[in-house]
Amino acid sequence: MTAVSDPSSIADLAAEATDTRVNLDFESEGMTLNMGPQHPATHGTLRIVAKLDGEQVISAEPICGYMHRGYEKLVEVRTYPQINALINRIDWLGSFANEVPFILAAEKLMGVEAPPRAQWIRTILFEMSRIANISLFLGDFGLQLGGMTAGFYAFRDREHVLNMIEAATGGRFHPNFDRIGGLKDDLPKGWIADSHVAMDKLLAFCDEMEDLLVGNEIFQTRTRGIGVIPAEIALSYGLSGANLRASGVDWDLRRDGCPPGLVYDQADWKVWTHPDGDCFARTWVRLQETREAAKIVKQLLDTIPAGPVMAKVPRIIKVPEGEAYVATENPLGEMGYYVVSKGDLVPFRVKIRSASFNNISIVPWVARGAYVPDLISILGSLYFILGDIDR
Amino acid sequence: MIRLSSADTTEATESTEAVATDEAREAVLAELTGRLGDSVLGSHIRPGDDLWVRVDRAAWRRAAEATRAMGFTFFDYVSAIDWLPSPFGRDMDAQEDLVVSGAAPKEPAPIVQGYAGGETRFQVIAHVYNIATATGIHLKADVPDDDLSLPSWSSVYAGANWHERETREMFGITFDGHPNLINMYLPTDFQGFPLRKDFPLLARRVRPWPGIVDVEPMPGGADDAEGDDQ
Amino acid sequence: MGLVESGRVPKPLSKLLNLSRKYSIWAYQWGLACCAIEMGAAFASPRYDVMRLGVIPFPASPRQADLVVIAGTVTDKLAPAVVRLYEQMPDPKYVISMGSCANCGGPYWDSYSVTKGVDQLIPVDVYVPGCPPRPEALLEGVLLLQERIAHEDMAERWKGDPIVVS
Repeated sequence: MTAVSDPSSIADLAAEATDTRVNLDFESEGMTLNMGPQHPATHGTLRIVAKLDGEQVISAEPICGYMHRGYEKLVEVRTYPQINALINRIDWLGSFANEVPFILAAEKLMGVEAPPRAQWIRTILFEMSRIANISLFLGDFGLQLGGMTAGFYAFRDREHVLNMIEAATGGRFHPNFDRIGGLKDDLPKGWIADSHVAMDKLLAFCDEMEDLLVGNEIFQTRTRGIGVIPAEIALSYGLSGANLRASGVDWDLRRDGCPPGLVYDQADWKVWTHPDGDCFARTWVRLQETREAAKIVKQLLDTIPAGPVMAKVPRIIKVPEGEAYVATENPLGEMGYYVVSKGDLVPFRVKIRSASFNNISIVPWVARGAYVPDLISILGSLYFILGDIDR
Repeated sequence: MIRLSSADTTEATESTEAVATDEAREAVLAELTGRLGDSVLGSHIRPGDDLWVRVDRAAWRRAAEATRAMGFTFFDYVSAIDWLPSPFGRDMDAQEDLVVSGAAPKEPAPIVQGYAGGETRFQVIAHVYNIATATGIHLKADVPDDDLSLPSWSSVYAGANWHERETREMFGITFDGHPNLINMYLPTDFQGFPLRKDFPLLARRVRPWPGIVDVEPMPGGADDAEGDDQ
Repeated sequence: MGLVESGRVPKPLSKLLNLSRKYSIWAYQWGLACCAIEMGAAFASPRYDVMRLGVIPFPASPRQADLVVIAGTVTDKLAPAVVRLYEQMPDPKYVISMGSCANCGGPYWDSYSVTKGVDQLIPVDVYVPGCPPRPEALLEGVLLLQERIAHEDMAERWKGDPIVVS
């Protein structure tokens, strides 16, 4: 069955737009190119089946599921603290950020609020995981476009922020630190001063990346004007995070829909957007975001209130009956948990709305008419984590 | 108010905020009811937080068009909920233990749907967002057991395409008018629909839940690992 | 020639061959899940730097690789690809199973779609435990593998039991 052809429907407009990119007059017999599931340019095991006409992509279909671990089923047989340990591994680069929306959803259903100090530390660690995540993106994207040096720089400077996360939580990138009603532990001694130093290093790293990678002429040639996504299309595909902001949509859940429990309103920061919507814009927005994140962390470090890090919650956590959806602005975009509870030790149903799933669903649209080398730019700049797509 | 805040000053500001946004959600609900008429079967508002609307199955696509026309252009997700209480108990093996020990199986608990009500075991749920007003709507629709299908949203919200594929795969609910309803995650020869409540996790049945073992004996003194090196 | 295949290598020659093989392991980089990031940190970052151990992590194809690190969750859908990759590698070939998922299924032990242990598919030489293991743990796994190669009698290649990093 084909889609209903209603001229005003977004799908038809989108199809028309993609058709103009492909020169249909010269369509030859074509060939099918299979990338993956093991392919160096697709970090993780994404497989892309691209139909080519010469070097132009006629259609590209991502095939997911190579990393599908069945999260939504597994959480139905695990208690809330056990789930907290498990969901770290959805978006494995920004692990702490995965825990927060789930914990906030459970807190919302229980009517618990974390003490201010815990909220501050949560926000700081949230932003640190964003830095850990996006700094690797910058290096990795450079790597994919042939600039291997960027990768080494990113891996080097990422360690600074990983060290801080490890010092506070005990895990390099699966902290399992968040708890319903607060945090597992308080910060260690001297952590705040060390974090300031680490953030300064990260800010220097951002400058370095701007000179090394984003300002590079070859990089710009390979990304500017490639894979343009208009705002309208981005919204209807549910793109979120930097991908949406790079299309000129001024929307950030940290500012516009921040759930209670995170204290972004306590820091002075800016949401960056870019009007172009191409691969370059997405990289640029992410670079600025890393910078802003470091600034948020630095400001919040100075204003952490004293007090306990854990509210009074029962030892055995039973979440009252109800439904709640909480989404936060994770490094990759909007990540939300729709938690249905029946008042049991385990949730009845959890729908995990992960950012990469929506972000990558636009690939068939945006890759149509692109050239094969540009496919790498597009995939790289959309920035997905396989675990976040497949869950 | 859902938030039992322990903080002193935030409570007052929060409650005023809640009343304000509550009105906004009432208005959204009123407008949606105006557009869909009798097709709105139920609704639930949590002041200052969220809005749930249950629409008639036949009006599922019209509901998408209506919300889109109302400015809810940001597509979040489509999924489903199986309201059947799990026949296997929490650890997936409880029921089997009962059968083995000869006890009578428990009476299955009744199906109780969540916010905005419902009549069927399966409900499809979708979330769309209006980024201008920062409000979202959860739309629900009942899907009867004898005809597990709904009109597809993929020509209204392009992003629904993949979500509907996922829902079809996980729950067995088909979407009429979907261009390419193939498996998203699982191999094509996979049997069953994993997110249905009556789909057992077999690994839990063949071996007991490891959390039962509290303290394991210490590994033996003579280390095997060293022997392997030779 | 033919000595290696027939398993009749003179001891000194075997030692020399093993020594050279030990310090020129070409590792195919194939990231699967979280562990791949720690593998990346071990292989590509200046802080851990696997190359000082004589591991070269940049072959472009499994056909040039001696070692593959299965770093992450192997799902049933991915399993044929893992086997195919392994079959493409030329002998002698080594496998490091990195992290709980590849070892035994790890946190997804009860999942309906995860293969519980990559050793059900391909023979594994070294298991590195952890979720994910630190880069240092992977480096220790590499060292243990090198030790194994150093003491290896080619004819006996598959007879020994896998090593577990303790």
